[in-house]
Amino acid sequence: MSTASARPHAGSPSGLRPGLLVASRWLGNVKILIPFAALVVIWSAIQAVGHFPERVLVSPSRVWDTMLLLFSHGILVEYIRTSIAMIFVATAISLAIGVPLGFLVGSNRYAARALETFLRYLQGISGIAWLPLVVIWFGFTHLTTLAIVIYTLAVPIIFNTMTGVRAVPELYALGLRSLGAGRLRVIRDVYLPGALPSIMVGLRLGMGYGWRALIAAEMLVRQGGLGDLIFGARTSGQIDRIIGGMIVIGALYIIIDRLLVQPLENLTIARWGLLRK
Amino acid sequence: MTTANSASKIVVSGFRHFFDTEDGPVQATGEIDLTIRAGEFVTLVGPSGCGKTTLLKAIAGFIRPTEGTIYCDGKPVSGPARERGVVFQELAILPWRTVRRNIGHGLEIAGIPKAEREQKVARLIDLIGLRGFEHRYPHELSGGMRQRVAVARTWAADPDVILMDEPFAAVDAMTRLTLQEELGRLCAATRKTVFFITHSVEEAVFLGDRVLVMTRRPGIIKARIEVPRRSLGGRDWETFTADPEMQNIAEQVLRLVRAERGAAEAEEKREAGAAASS
Repeated sequence: MSTASARPHAGSPSGLRPGLLVASRWLGNVKILIPFAALVVIWSAIQAVGHFPERVLVSPSRVWDTMLLLFSHGILVEYIRTSIAMIFVATAISLAIGVPLGFLVGSNRYAARALETFLRYLQGISGIAWLPLVVIWFGFTHLTTLAIVIYTLAVPIIFNTMTGVRAVPELYALGLRSLGAGRLRVIRDVYLPGALPSIMVGLRLGMGYGWRALIAAEMLVRQGGLGDLIFGARTSGQIDRIIGGMIVIGALYIIIDRLLVQPLENLTIARWGLLRK
Repeated sequence: MTTANSASKIVVSGFRHFFDTEDGPVQATGEIDLTIRAGEFVTLVGPSGCGKTTLLKAIAGFIRPTEGTIYCDGKPVSGPARERGVVFQELAILPWRTVRRNIGHGLEIAGIPKAEREQKVARLIDLIGLRGFEHRYPHELSGGMRQRVAVARTWAADPDVILMDEPFAAVDAMTRLTLQEELGRLCAATRKTVFFITHSVEEAVFLGDRVLVMTRRPGIIKARIEVPRRSLGGRDWETFTADPEMQNIAEQVLRLVRAERGAAEAEEKREAGAAASS
């Protein structure tokens, strides 16, 4: 039906009039942008007062113009595409490896106890710390970048899958078994959905860590991607490209996290009432 | 095999159980022999830690007895099965399934076609008074409603035997009275064999055809008291409390339970005293 607008009050539980509701929502969103605006203002002020040379600092408007230029030539899109493709391929592979592995470890009490410290230990050795070794093995290739990002992503996924499986009350499994369920059914109906919110937490953390590791690896590997863009700009002293690239890196992270991963997490956690505040 | 007569549904024979702890095995129960007849509602009361839940878990097939055997329909119990449904004190229904999907879970596992499943589930939802809540998740329900869903889920799978471990302990007192009456009616109507653990003497007498009283740990069954049925349907609290014979039975059970509790407390004091003086 297309008559949703005929009942304007239906969707507003607070009883606000639709116009007011839209306005208050808009104000809510503006609030988020205030710190960003403040940063730009301070940046402009410093630049204006300090009269810094272009190889040290440029104005926000200059960065904007450069990025617009890069965008219109399709260069920026190309760098973005490389980074985005990398993070998603790495995420898919990390999930495919991490979830079954986390399950295997989580379903065995002794394996879980034995591996917990080891996994924490691995979390201490960041992906970047692996770079020298991986570069020796795979050279300055996409494979190196991918390996580093997968490593960074997979560890929190394995860890959180494991804790998720361990946190599922045994009672759920016992209850289902006395309904006649076999082992596979218990895994599918109890442990997988039970661990899902925790897996989502691992995915979200992992994608955050993975994104940072990706940019760092790209800076060293120099095979495209936003890390390559900003590190390459350093050698030619293009401050506008460096700052512009950094802005895009942050913006893309927010987009991936807030528009993709967080809604997914909320969907699984909030609806099941497992998120206790 | 066993020579259990056709009317006995569950036979517990020479059961004793020990738990492995870091300080060696701890005896959970003394030797227990028990026969539950088909269609009988047996309640079990006893002090905390006497081994009530251990016995129930063994009948359910969740734990293997250290000694003795448990038979269901003459066959030794070797693990959990659909014929022996369990309702727990804490909530075992799944928080990520709606009321409808929780209740239908056992039928889903049994491979019952969806249309038939939906029909059965709808009938049970009506029976437990949760119409309109079919699509709610457990966290959106009150404690009493959740426990109704748990009972309905077990009922839907149509087990011969239902094992209940203090199912109403976490529910508020007023709701508990209603749930007890509903359970009594449901059992009387469906002629299920029920084994019901409780802390409450009143509940045990109100629901049971037979009340078993257990001693302190390691528990054995020290008394078995028949409770006569006044009618074919379930009991209700008003007539129950007005019935002098019922009240007599309740007092008798209470004395037995209190004596056990008193003895357990005296023992604890003695042990504490011995520990303090040494």
